Amino acid sequence: MIDLIYKIGHFLLITIFTMALGLLFMGIARKIVARIQKRYGPPIYQPYLDVLKLFGKNAITHGFIFDFGAVMALGGVITTLFFIPLGSWQLYSMEGTVLLIIYLLAVASLGMAMGTVGSGNPQASVGISRALTQMLGYELPYLVILFALIFRYQTSSIWGLMQAQAGSFLNWNLFAYPLMALVAFVVLIGMMGKKPFDAMIAPSEIGSGPVVESGGKYLGMLLLQKSITIIIELALYVNLFLGGADNIFSFSFKMLIVWVLATMFGSLFPRFRIEDGVKFFWKWPLGIAILQALYIII
Amino acid sequence: MLIKYIFIPAAAAIAAYILNKKNKKAGAIVTALISAYLLFSLALLYGSWELSQSFSLSLMNYQVEFLLALTPLSWLFAVLTAAISFLIAVFSIESQADFKFSSAFNLNFLLVIASIMGVLLARDFLTLFIFWELMTWTSFYLISAGKKKLAGKAAFRYIILSTGAAYAFLMSAIFIYQQTGSFAFTRAAEFLLANSPVQSILLLAAISLPFMVKAGIFPLHVWVKDAHGNAPKEFSPFLSGMMLKVGIYGMLLVFHQLSFFKIIENTIAYRGLPLLSYLFALLGAVTIVTGTILAIRQEDMKKLIAYSSISQMGYIIIGIAIATPLGFTGSMLHLINHLIFKSTIFLALAAVIYRTGTTKMYEMGGLIFRMPITFAAYLTAIIALAGIPPTNGFISKWVIYQALIEKGYLFLALVAFFGSIASFMYVFKPLSTVFLGQLKPQHAEIKEVPLLMKIPMLILIGVIILFGVFPGIQMNIITQISGYLGMETVNYSLYSIQGAFGAWNSLYIFNIFSAGFVIALLIFGFAKKSKLVGLLDTYSSGEYITDAESYHYAYQYFRPFDRIFDNLAAKSLTGFYETLTNNLVRSGEGLRRVFAAGKLQNYALYSVLLFVILAAVGWII
Repeated sequence: MIDLIYKIGHFLLITIFTMALGLLFMGIARKIVARIQKRYGPPIYQPYLDVLKLFGKNAITHGFIFDFGAVMALGGVITTLFFIPLGSWQLYSMEGTVLLIIYLLAVASLGMAMGTVGSGNPQASVGISRALTQMLGYELPYLVILFALIFRYQTSSIWGLMQAQAGSFLNWNLFAYPLMALVAFVVLIGMMGKKPFDAMIAPSEIGSGPVVESGGKYLGMLLLQKSITIIIELALYVNLFLGGADNIFSFSFKMLIVWVLATMFGSLFPRFRIEDGVKFFWKWPLGIAILQALYIII
Repeated sequence: MLIKYIFIPAAAAIAAYILNKKNKKAGAIVTALISAYLLFSLALLYGSWELSQSFSLSLMNYQVEFLLALTPLSWLFAVLTAAISFLIAVFSIESQADFKFSSAFNLNFLLVIASIMGVLLARDFLTLFIFWELMTWTSFYLISAGKKKLAGKAAFRYIILSTGAAYAFLMSAIFIYQQTGSFAFTRAAEFLLANSPVQSILLLAAISLPFMVKAGIFPLHVWVKDAHGNAPKEFSPFLSGMMLKVGIYGMLLVFHQLSFFKIIENTIAYRGLPLLSYLFALLGAVTIVTGTILAIRQEDMKKLIAYSSISQMGYIIIGIAIATPLGFTGSMLHLINHLIFKSTIFLALAAVIYRTGTTKMYEMGGLIFRMPITFAAYLTAIIALAGIPPTNGFISKWVIYQALIEKGYLFLALVAFFGSIASFMYVFKPLSTVFLGQLKPQHAEIKEVPLLMKIPMLILIGVIILFGVFPGIQMNIITQISGYLGMETVNYSLYSIQGAFGAWNSLYIFNIFSAGFVIALLIFGFAKKSKLVGLLDTYSSGEYITDAESYHYAYQYFRPFDRIFDNLAAKSLTGFYETLTNNLVRSGEGLRRVFAAGKLQNYALYSVLLFVILAAVGWII
C-alpha cells in the first residue's frame, strides 16, 4: 500500500515537474525569438500566466469527441513520459523501448487530431492533414537512426542506449556518430513544428490549424500537452545522443541547450511548403541516415 | 471424423438456401448457427493434432487417396474462419433485405466456409485443389453479387487470375504425381528434396501461384482493390480478413511442409538469408509501399481499406520470408490481429453503408453524432491497425521490427516503418471525413444500426483490447505452430513477449495508460464546465456560414502528399495488365481476320495446307 502511494506520489511529481519545465522552456523560447527579431518579448513566466488564465476562462465545446480528444492528447503524453529516463528519475523507464515511445507519442497526436477535426472546422482538418503528412516525412529518418542505434548497441531500451554511452563524453553518440546526431537534430525541429516545418500550424494561413477551435481549458490542456511533448522529445534526444545524465539538473541543462539551439535554428528559416518539407526530409536527413545505418550494419 | 467440418456447412448451405426462400432472415441465422457450431467443436479439438482421415478411390486403374488431417496450423486458420463467419453472419441477419439474391448469398457463404475447411484440412494436392477451386468459384459468385455493375468486372478479374494460377498449380501437382505416384504432401516433400533444386524451385513456384494471388502479393494484387471494394458490404470483412490469409496458409504450406526453405537452404545468402527468401521478402516490401501509397489516394472508403489490406499483408509476407523465430511469430501474430481489426473496420464501414448507402467518403461527414458505436468500433480498429499501444496491432508490428533489426535488414525495416507511419494517414482519412467534421443535412436523421449489427462490433472491440493486453493467448497456439513446423519458439508469458532487444510488457503499459488518462481526466474535470455549441459555430475568418456541406474538408484529403507520387501512381499496374489484355485481344482479332474470315474457301485451303504439312512431316520422319 505504502509502495502504491509512493508510486502515485512519484507519478504526480514527475508530471507536474515536467509541465513546469516545459512551460519554462516555452517562455525562454519566446524571449529568444523576440530578441532575434529585435523585440523585447514577454517575460519568461508568461506561459504560466497563460495556462492559469486559460483554465479560468469560459470555454466552448463541439461535442463529446472534442472533449475526448483533449483528454486523450494530454493522457497520451503523460503516459509516454513515464517510459523515458529523465536523469535519475525513472519509474517505468526500464521497460521503455524507443520504438514504443514513437508509437506512444502517436496516441497523443491521434487524440489531438480527432478532437480538433471533431470540431467541424475545415481549417483544423487541413492542419491535421498537413501534420500527418509531415510526420511521415520526419519519422522515416528518425526510425532509420533508431534502427542503426539499436543494431549498434544491441538493445532497444532507452536506458540501455544511454548506458552504452557512459564513460567519457567522447562516447556520446554526438561525437561517435555526428552525422546521425545532426539528422536527429533536424528531425527534432520538424517534430516540434518549428519554423521551416510549421506549415501545419501556419497561423496566418489556416488560423493555427489544429488548435483553431480550442479555447479556454482546451487550449490550456493543449499547452500542457505541448509542454510535456517538448520535454519528451528533448529527453529522447539527450538520452540518445548526449549520453543522458545521472541527475535531473544536468539533464535539464542538456535539454535546455538543445532547446535553445533548436529555437535559434527554427527562427532563421522561412516556412516550407508541406510537400517540399517532406521531400527535404526524404532527401537529406533520410539519405544521410541511410548512409550512416549502412556504415553501421556492414 | 474430420470430414464433418466440410460436410456440415456444405449440407447446411442447401438448407439455408431453401429456408431463405421462405424467410429472408433464415439463411443468415443458419449460417450463424453453423459457424458457431464449427467454432465450438473446433475449439474442443485443440491439442489433438494426430487426428487424420483418408478416403481412397480407384479411378480407371489409378489409385487416388484423399487425405485429411488436423495440424496446429490448420486448426488456427479453421478457428479464425469459423469465428469471423459467425460474427459476419450475425451482422448480416438484419441487412439481408438489402440483397437481391439473399438465398444465393447464404448458399455461397456456407460453401466458402466448407471449402476453406477443406483447403485447411487437406493433406494432398488433389483434395487441396478441389476445395481451392470450390472456394474460388463460390467467392467469385459472392463478389459479383455486389450492388454495382463494377462488382461483376472485379469478380471477373479475380477469377481470371485465380484460374490461371490454379492451372499452374495443377500442372505441377500432376507432374509430381507422375514422379511419385501420390498426391500426398509428405511424398511430394521427399521427392522435391531429392530432385534437382532448380526443377523443384520451379515446381514450387507454380504451386505457390494461386496462393500468391489469393494473398494479393505484388504484382498479383490487382484484383484486390476492386473485388474488396465492390463486393457486398457483408462479404468484404471475410474477403479481406480471412480469404487473404488462406493465401498465406498456402505459402506456409509451400515454405515449410513442401520444404521450400530446406531446398534453398544452402544457396547464395544475404545476411544469412537465402537470396530467394530475401527476394520474396522484397516482394512483401513492394506490396507494402504500393498498398500504402494507393490507399492514401483513395476517395472510396472500402477501396482505401482494401489497399490497406494489401499493404498489411506485406508485413506478414516479410515475417514469414525471413523465417527467424521472431519474424515468424510476428507475422503469425499480425495475421491474427489483422484478421481481427480489419474485419472490425469493414464491419463498421458496412454499418455506415447500411445507413447511408454510399461508399464515397466526401458524401458523408459527422456521423459520429449519429452512430457512436460504429465510430467506437472503427476508432479502436484503426488504433490497432496503426499499431498504437495498448492494442493488438502494436505487438505484432513490434515483434516484426525486432526481427528485422536483429538481422540488420535495413531496407525491409525502412519500408516497414514507412508503411506503419503512413497508415496513420490513410486510416485517419475515413475517420476524419466520414465520422468527424460536418454532418450533412441529408444524414441528420440517420440512426445507429440495429442491435444485431452492434453486437459483432462490440465483441471485436473487446477482442482487440484483450489480445492487446494479453498477447499470451495468441502466443499459445503460435508456439504450437512453430514447434510443429520445426522452428524455435519465442519466450512469452500471458502479458509479455521477449524480443531480441528487450521485452514487451503489456500489463505495465496498460496500467500506466490508465494512470495517464486519469490525470488528464482530472485536469479536464476540475476545470470550468464548457458550453456546447453547434458544428457550424466555428471560427471561419469572418465568413458567414450557412450550409454544412461546403464547410467539410474531405475531398483529396492528402493532396500535398499525393502530389509527390502523382507520376508513380499514374503508372498503374492495372493499366499495364489492361494494355497486355488489349494487345492480346487485338492480335487475336488480327489472327481471326486473317484465318477465320468466314469464307468456306479459306477453310478448305487450310485443310489442304494442314494435310500437306502433315504429309511432309510424316515423309521426313
